[in-house]
Amino acid sequence: MSGQSSIALKEEGNRHFQKGDYVAAEALYTKAILSDPTNPLLYTNRAMARLKMSRWDSVIEDCEECLRLSSLSSSSSTPGSKAPGSKNFKALYYLSQAHLPLKNYDQAVSYALEAHKICAETHDKSLAAVTSQVLKCKKERWEHREKLRRREEQELEGEVVEILRGEMEGLLKGSDDEAEKKETEKMYEDKIERIRAAFERAREKENQRRPNPPDWAIDDISFQVMVDPVMTKTGKSYERASIEEHLRRSETDPLTRAPLTIKDLMPNIDLKHACEEFLNENGWAVDW
Amino acid sequence: MPVQFAAKRLGKELNKIQNGLPPGIELVSADNLEEWLLDIRVLDNNPLYLNETYRLKFRFSQSYPIEPPEVVFVKQADRPIPIHPHIYSNGIICLDLLGQQGWSPVQSVESVCMSLQSMLTGNTKNERPPGDEEFVRGNKQRPKDIEFYYHDNTV
Repeated sequence: MSGQSSIALKEEGNRHFQKGDYVAAEALYTKAILSDPTNPLLYTNRAMARLKMSRWDSVIEDCEECLRLSSLSSSSSTPGSKAPGSKNFKALYYLSQAHLPLKNYDQAVSYALEAHKICAETHDKSLAAVTSQVLKCKKERWEHREKLRRREEQELEGEVVEILRGEMEGLLKGSDDEAEKKETEKMYEDKIERIRAAFERAREKENQRRPNPPDWAIDDISFQVMVDPVMTKTGKSYERASIEEHLRRSETDPLTRAPLTIKDLMPNIDLKHACEEFLNENGWAVDW
Repeated sequence: MPVQFAAKRLGKELNKIQNGLPPGIELVSADNLEEWLLDIRVLDNNPLYLNETYRLKFRFSQSYPIEPPEVVFVKQADRPIPIHPHIYSNGIICLDLLGQQGWSPVQSVESVCMSLQSMLTGNTKNERPPGDEEFVRGNKQRPKDIEFYYHDNTV
């Protein structure tokens, strides 16, 4: 039966992957897919190998195929089976990782958030890694937007100076009085100087060392800006990935040591929105 | 996928530390994210610790701060091991905060140093833990593997 051999091929691929031989692993996963093209999980395995090989476009193809196949199988499966997509946060996570180097920032962020949502619902141990991916995508998107904004501002500065120069030249042409011409010239040089200084001041202000991010946005366990803050019984909030990791080791409130379980955690939606808003404006805070 | 809190968290702690530490605590070295050295002094006039500086060695695992760091005093020519009923003469510290049960991930290098400072400040007994000599002679275990018996929590 071909299904049996595809599993064996996949397992051999996994062994090569563990050893760091991604090329051999990728070839074996490809063989596995050829022998069983409808198993969505084989595609995420190959995507994982292709990520290591920086083959972003083919990572995306594999992940999309995986998601397509899983949506087919989940719609035809009997009610009560696992929720659709519950196993496929990996496809979403790899999609985010592939879109980021391709500079598709919005997609990278939204796939990371989708993967995060699934991991949070299933209490998956990869939540911390996926949370880091969300932060990384948001940081790179912010940096990209900043670069564009700075370039636009520089262009605007040039345009404003050009307009002033044009105006000055028009006035100079229309006048024969040398003294008046000198006066006009001096006035415009002065204006241009002031415009340049104003843009320069704005740039300097941005380049100044940034303050630490506000304490309310920072998780006291990972020291990172929170993506999905959850509250303990005492009202203190932590990053979901961090506190769950702690509670798996010790079911105690980190501050009071009172008994605390994952079930006691409540999402802190207002703080989540505040952190999102803060991070949209301050992407640098990911690496403060 | 392993949890990799340690590198980021320690990087940020270092960042904070370099902006300043509480009085009596100084960073000696933090060349990597596995082992840091800090010096602490007791700030009041407790005669047991007057004019002395003590060196602490922190060792972090990959799962810090979910797991506690390993913290010991290290002896050097000008850095003795402070005398205290919870500190063995080989530098091993018996403090519940540093044990598997007492540790909490909201603690930090800075807060551990402060706790040790206050543990010394509050001590009046010029003595080692019971069985110190025997323990120091026989112990081959790493601090984290030792099951301490917290015999006197009032110290």
